[in-house]
Amino acid sequence: MTVLVLAGVALFGLATGAAAGLLGVGGGIVIVPFLTLALGLSQHAAEATSLVVVLPTAVVASLELRRRGIGDLGQALRFGTVGALAASGGALAALLLPASTLKIVFAAFLGLVGVRLVRDGLRE
Amino acid sequence: MADAAATASSTRHRLRALLSIHPRLVAIGVAGGLLSGLLGVGGGVVMVPLLVLWAGYDQRTAHATSLGAIVPISIAGVLTFGLAGRVHWIDAAALAVGAVVGARLGAGWLARIDQRVLRMVFGCFLVVVAATMGIRA
Repeated sequence: MTVLVLAGVALFGLATGAAAGLLGVGGGIVIVPFLTLALGLSQHAAEATSLVVVLPTAVVASLELRRRGIGDLGQALRFGTVGALAASGGALAALLLPASTLKIVFAAFLGLVGVRLVRDGLRE
Repeated sequence: MADAAATASSTRHRLRALLSIHPRLVAIGVAGGLLSGLLGVGGGVVMVPLLVLWAGYDQRTAHATSLGAIVPISIAGVLTFGLAGRVHWIDAAALAVGAVVGARLGAGWLARIDQRVLRMVFGCFLVVVAATMGIRA
């Protein structure tokens, strides 16, 4: 991989990190498609690699927000630790499922949340 | 003696407070965690709406709390996928270098943004992502 490509990837990381910090997400929802479509990674490799980026993103954003007195990091870490057990199970399931199934699950999940939000927005 | 008993009781009380988590937060953590491991995301996309609609958090606090919960959740995913040898470390490092700089910027915006605007921006983000996925599929 050339230096130019790496710089472009880092620039994309900058944009996802900024969006993640504002939107309270890890950024994986954008990083996974980027890794499969732009860099040609398999679905499994993209998911694994995405989580390695999500972790430092969440750490840095959480520390910045704690410094500014926003949110309850203690409470978040507590229920997040329970969630971590589920995450291990989810990751094991992902490794056992074929990549095409994962892609369908991913798309269906996003569609459901999106439709829900649009519906709520129209009601307000 | 009474003092010691009182201290023990208060320590126990504090310990219980430390370990007690609202059942809804536990359910939100499990939902976020499952999704995170299964799809390689943080899980915030499901935790933020649930924290607002179900746990009664305001929009800004929900976003900040979601990010905090993503920390232990993504550690578990990194360990599981990492042990399976699926991580492309050079791609991850290049993305992470940019992402940590961006994360500080984004968190700064989150601290200042009007909450109604934040809700709209978040809703639009999810709709755009869902539509993109729909078109591709």
